[in-house]
Amino acid sequence: MTGPKEHKVKSLAELPQALEPARDLWPGIEAALKTQVPAAGTGLSPARVRLGQLRWFAAAAMVASVAVGVWIGRDLVPLSGPAPSVAQATAPRVTPAQGANAVDAAFVSDPRYARQRAELLQSLQTRLDAMPEPARAKVTASLATIETAKKDLESALGKDPSNALLQELLINTYQDEMRALTDVHEASDPGRGI
Amino acid sequence: MRISIKLSAALLALSAAPLALAEKAFDKEVAAEERGVVEVSNTSGMVEISGWDRHAVSVHGELDEGVERVDVTSEAGRTLIKVVLPEHSRHGEARLHIKIPKDSELHLTTVSADATVSGVNGAQRVNAVSGDVTTEIAAGNLELKTVSGDVKIKGHGQPAQLRVTTVSGDVHLEHGGGDLETTTVSGTLVVSLDTARSVHARTTSGDMHFDARMTRGSSFEASTVSGDLNVRASAEGGYAYEVSTFSGDISDCFGGAKAEKGIIGHSMSGSRGEGAGHMRLKTMSGDVQLCDRT
Repeated sequence: MTGPKEHKVKSLAELPQALEPARDLWPGIEAALKTQVPAAGTGLSPARVRLGQLRWFAAAAMVASVAVGVWIGRDLVPLSGPAPSVAQATAPRVTPAQGANAVDAAFVSDPRYARQRAELLQSLQTRLDAMPEPARAKVTASLATIETAKKDLESALGKDPSNALLQELLINTYQDEMRALTDVHEASDPGRGI
Repeated sequence: MRISIKLSAALLALSAAPLALAEKAFDKEVAAEERGVVEVSNTSGMVEISGWDRHAVSVHGELDEGVERVDVTSEAGRTLIKVVLPEHSRHGEARLHIKIPKDSELHLTTVSADATVSGVNGAQRVNAVSGDVTTEIAAGNLELKTVSGDVKIKGHGQPAQLRVTTVSGDVHLEHGGGDLETTTVSGTLVVSLDTARSVHARTTSGDMHFDARMTRGSSFEASTVSGDLNVRASAEGGYAYEVSTFSGDISDCFGGAKAEKGIIGHSMSGSRGEGAGHMRLKTMSGDVQLCDRT
């Protein structure tokens, strides 16, 4: 069935150059963004806040797109042995930079990555306690170094979300964190070694 | 007063006697295959392993009272040497001096024990937690992992697959060859390579120093977040290079090359010689120095 106003398109030239939505969608999008990150009290203009948000969303999208790549790389240092079962997370955790939460959230979207990382972090303190004191201090410092590196990279990506160099280094750092956590986990597993 | 001093000295001597007696010697020798596998594990103390021409494994040890026993077994080409501690204890120290057939494959595991390996031509797989590892390599492959232990590797330029990782331990490699893959979080990498085919190196904050002679068509990739990267590498047939950093500085010894400064970051690319190989160096905030004169 065809309506009375419908006609067959015979060439591309007959198609409109652009299609406008039936109504202006932007107010709804803007309202949703304001709900997620209230601009009040930041001292920034709404346009500037929106630009900042869009940067972080771009960064989050970028990191999400490479999360699969990280997971593939993660396979280079596979976990082995039983999963730790301690219930409380005790890892040294640096507070992420403003906006980095979006990046983290995107990154840990792979549930396997998130689950294994959480398991390793939960048992970290126990594993560190099993190490000789000088080793414990050095390893704790190294894990803090990784946290700082992640924070610095995420912060830099916030300014330049499409920077391929920073993306690669961030992926490397996430992989190195998993490798270090896995090494610590296995190193303190009696009779296994690393 | 004099009697009191003599009494104290006598008591001191008596209390020290058990300590002297606590250390016990251990010796055992078993037959082994020329190219068999030798597995050694020791929690703390020291392990010294050297290769010899005999088809036997010899173990001499000094064990403190925390060590329950040392198991030495040899069967079907596999010799096991294991320092056994009482259950739930990790505090017994053993100092082991081990000789193995020089073409053996060696698997060595320690926790805090330092390890030294020399004269072993076969492949080596070494794991340590906080113990330092010093090893000599030949044409056999090496897989070496530590958490915080420092690593020293001495090669003879023979090609091999070398894979070295640490969390915080420093890595020193002299006269390596073949393919190197090395990663550390905060350790420093100091590497000299005589005939390298490929190099993949990565740190988070550790500095890297390379002095490398690469083969024709070789590839060299190194990246760090905040460490500095100093590479002196020559290659038969030269190499095409790409250097990029987000906020570090780039310098070179090429004369004509100029680092380009973008809106954000610096990069430098070009070619040396025929450009047969590839060199890629990346940092976020670390400085990069590249030179093709070794």
